[in-house]
Amino acid sequence: MNKISVYVAAEFNIAEAARQAKLMASVLGFSSVQSYYIATAASELAANVFIHADGGMFEVSALTDRPGLELVVSDHGPGIADIEKALQDGYSTAGGLGCGLPGVQRLMDEMDIDSQPGQGTVVRARKWL
Amino acid sequence: MTTNSLAPIVTLLQQRAAISSEWMNEVLRVWMRMYPGLVNEDELRRQADALLKELAKLFSEHSGETPPDIGANSALGEIARELSADRAKKGFKPADTAQYVIALKNVLTQHLVSTLNETPASLTLCLRAVDGVLDRLSLLTFEAFVETRERVIAQQSLSLVELSTPVILLWNNVLLLPLIGVIDTVRARQLTERLLESITKYEASVTLIDVTGVPVFDTSVAWHIMKTIDAAQLLGSRIVMTGISPEGAQTLTKLGISFANVISRATLRAGLAEALQLVGRRIESTGGVHK
Repeated sequence: MNKISVYVAAEFNIAEAARQAKLMASVLGFSSVQSYYIATAASELAANVFIHADGGMFEVSALTDRPGLELVVSDHGPGIADIEKALQDGYSTAGGLGCGLPGVQRLMDEMDIDSQPGQGTVVRARKWL
Repeated sequence: MTTNSLAPIVTLLQQRAAISSEWMNEVLRVWMRMYPGLVNEDELRRQADALLKELAKLFSEHSGETPPDIGANSALGEIARELSADRAKKGFKPADTAQYVIALKNVLTQHLVSTLNETPASLTLCLRAVDGVLDRLSLLTFEAFVETRERVIAQQSLSLVELSTPVILLWNNVLLLPLIGVIDTVRARQLTERLLESITKYEASVTLIDVTGVPVFDTSVAWHIMKTIDAAQLLGSRIVMTGISPEGAQTLTKLGISFANVISRATLRAGLAEALQLVGRRIESTGGVHK
């Protein structure tokens, strides 16, 4: 069980992504607070691909070289036009709270975004044990 | 009737008893082992008989090169759908349901090969026709199976939504909305509607929202709950939120979410005390037997 994928095509898949992330986190030995952070980050990322890209792939995997956990979401949606803005608190293009992506950045240890307008987006977020 | 190139199939199907018993033996061999107690043998034989009769009718009315078509609403289509919907309800596996039609195809193919081995041209035609018709029948049964399952799932999730959003009158003018499970858009809308109706109906001045049962508190859940709170406050009800776990509280601050204008208490008990105070009541000891 080193990697689990959930295809996010409907709203209930978001909860499944969060559940799988939480499960993997507690199996790897993250504390309950850390597991909750990871589950919430997973939920934010999965919700993003559902809302902005009409669906995408969510993956949670165990990192071995340096023990930790990685969340990856990838989609073929419109891409993020302005990544810097998307990382600002309170900025939302879909009428939400606008703290999803910046929130994930704070909940996890590392995050990088690779987005091509019109091609899609890949977001990777890692947390170390 | 014009000369029917599919006449051998009709002849075959008219000896229904033989085909039917061979077919049913094949089907029952598997089903009796997998689903003991769910298979009614007499019923099954009756259904098989009806299906073979319709098949014979279909092939006798048809002549020509292209295999006859079965509409979903034809008598044959109806029988197939009914059969497989019944299987789906009883919890049969999809493969075992499909096996029903496949077994018939095997039996018919075997018989055709042995009776028509002298006339290969006729055999090819007949086999093609049987293939076409039974493949279509397979698709129909498969479709009906999936449809039935999906209807069951849809009903279940509907009743779950119904079940999971009660609004409870806790005391005069005090309501309790316990949230349990995943809060998605549909549930958020429904619980908001119910809560607002109840606030109006009971003239609630305080509403307790208990989130103990919410597994993950992310921005979309927070957003949904904030909208509900805003609407409730417009109707004049104060909100007391209870049951945020220590992990949830830390996550919310990390996310940068604060519930302004909302009184929050760690437990439902503390929340209830707060709510009663807001309506000018308190719970007192009466010196009862159980202390």
